[in-house]
Amino acid sequence: MVEARNLMYMFYGFLAAWLIVIIYVVSIAVREKHLHQELERVRRMIEQREKV
Amino acid sequence: MTPAGSIATTARHNFLTMSWLRGALAVTVKDLRSELRSKETVNASLSFALVILLLFSFAFDPSADTVREISGGLLWLVFAFAGALVLNRSYARELTNDCLDALIASPISGAQMFIGKCAANFALLLAVEAICIPVFGIFYNVRWTQHLGQLALTFLLGTWALTVIGTMFSAMTVNLRLRELMLPILVYPMMIPALMAAIRLTTVLMAGNAITGDDMIWFRVLTGFDIIFTILGIAFVEIVLIG
Amino acid sequence: MRNKIIVGLSVAAAALLAFNLYKVFMVLPDEINQGAIYRIIYIHVPSAITCFTCFFAAMIASALFLIRKDMRYDAVAAATTEVGLVFASVVLVTGSIWARIIWGIWWTWDARLTSMFVCWLLYAGYLMLRRAIDEPTQRARLAAVLSIFAFTDVIIVWKSIEWWRTQHPGPVLSIRNGGGMAPGMEAPIWWNYLALVMVATILIMVRMRQEDFRREIDSMRRWAHAL
Repeated sequence: MVEARNLMYMFYGFLAAWLIVIIYVVSIAVREKHLHQELERVRRMIEQREKV
Repeated sequence: MTPAGSIATTARHNFLTMSWLRGALAVTVKDLRSELRSKETVNASLSFALVILLLFSFAFDPSADTVREISGGLLWLVFAFAGALVLNRSYARELTNDCLDALIASPISGAQMFIGKCAANFALLLAVEAICIPVFGIFYNVRWTQHLGQLALTFLLGTWALTVIGTMFSAMTVNLRLRELMLPILVYPMMIPALMAAIRLTTVLMAGNAITGDDMIWFRVLTGFDIIFTILGIAFVEIVLIG
Repeated sequence: MRNKIIVGLSVAAAALLAFNLYKVFMVLPDEINQGAIYRIIYIHVPSAITCFTCFFAAMIASALFLIRKDMRYDAVAAATTEVGLVFASVVLVTGSIWARIIWGIWWTWDARLTSMFVCWLLYAGYLMLRRAIDEPTQRARLAAVLSIFAFTDVIIVWKSIEWWRTQHPGPVLSIRNGGGMAPGMEAPIWWNYLALVMVATILIMVRMRQEDFRREIDSMRRWAHAL
């Protein structure tokens, strides 16, 4: 009984740890996507201004 | 803080000489005089502290035992919050009429201004505490006059810790757009070690026991905290204000 | 070049982590008093040491920025603090889960846990401060000073189990002249630390690449407005 709970919490522990790291990696990826979008926007702004 | 090469810089390099102390004292006197003329900050701080003490006394209706357990925590939280009102204003009050620029351009060094302001804030905070502690003793039926020496030492060391941190972070956030928001977020975590020590010591003393043996470490914590953050403050305040 | 390093490190880190996972779960026996749950130590302690390493690196980078005034040090400080904060979160969460089993409580306000939580708050405050300031030089300067101030708490966290009697276990690692662990049980801690440092380095490098990217976008934007 205690053994099962023990093991369960141990897995929760490892799971929680890696979840936190994965969430951070995902947030980095999201930030990368936003940066690319902003780059596109700025590029288009430059092209427009150069045409003028 | 005038540019290098001027005659004023020789004065500021003589750290802790009489002229250095006179410069710092000038700032202290200026701050205290301006505060005591208007009394706005100290009144706000005192009212806030007394109201919280009052609210707590009928919010919890504590028994004598409970009061003895929470006395330190209650007092120091009250002083931390009420003190923040005083400390926030420390550099912020110089923003109007470009007073901060004038101070920066003056012959005193950043360290002198910092210590001067710390001394002024220290005096104001001690004044608020000196009124609150007897009031606390009355509202909560606590005999706080035993071990007065150790209690005084606790309050001196603890208040200096709050002052140094609060003044330093006031300098750091003075030029920020979001000053009102950032200051509490930064200051309270930084104060926690000192608050813990002060709370532990005060609780023991308010319960009527002297500080002995194991609890002496908290005095060492407070002293170490005070020394380290005073040095850090003096070292970095000019970088933070000017660059 | 940088991408090759990132890929190389990722492979090495993954391999090391896989090997350690095998070692931790298959090879090592249960601890006498705690049972299986003690294996959390192999992620809790290495994360803590990685976190302190990151914050130490951030402090050094901050000091170097204040001395040399080079914005690249500021980028390093920001990236290492972010990654350090992630590992600090891991420490707090894994510690809580472990505490629930062996002490029966999720949390207690002893010196070690309190100072670690304060550490988390301080560095979260650092990141908030960075977001609150728009001007890059002012942001770098104030953040650098805050980083140096915040590091004092890291020292308190590290030394707390020596200076106070805490709910948290006392010094155990061999580097601290502690009580010592059974032979063979301490090594995986250090191997996992190495693996996590590699993971941290990868994250920091990726993050710094993003900072460079952002600076490029900012300069392009300025050029666009000048046109």
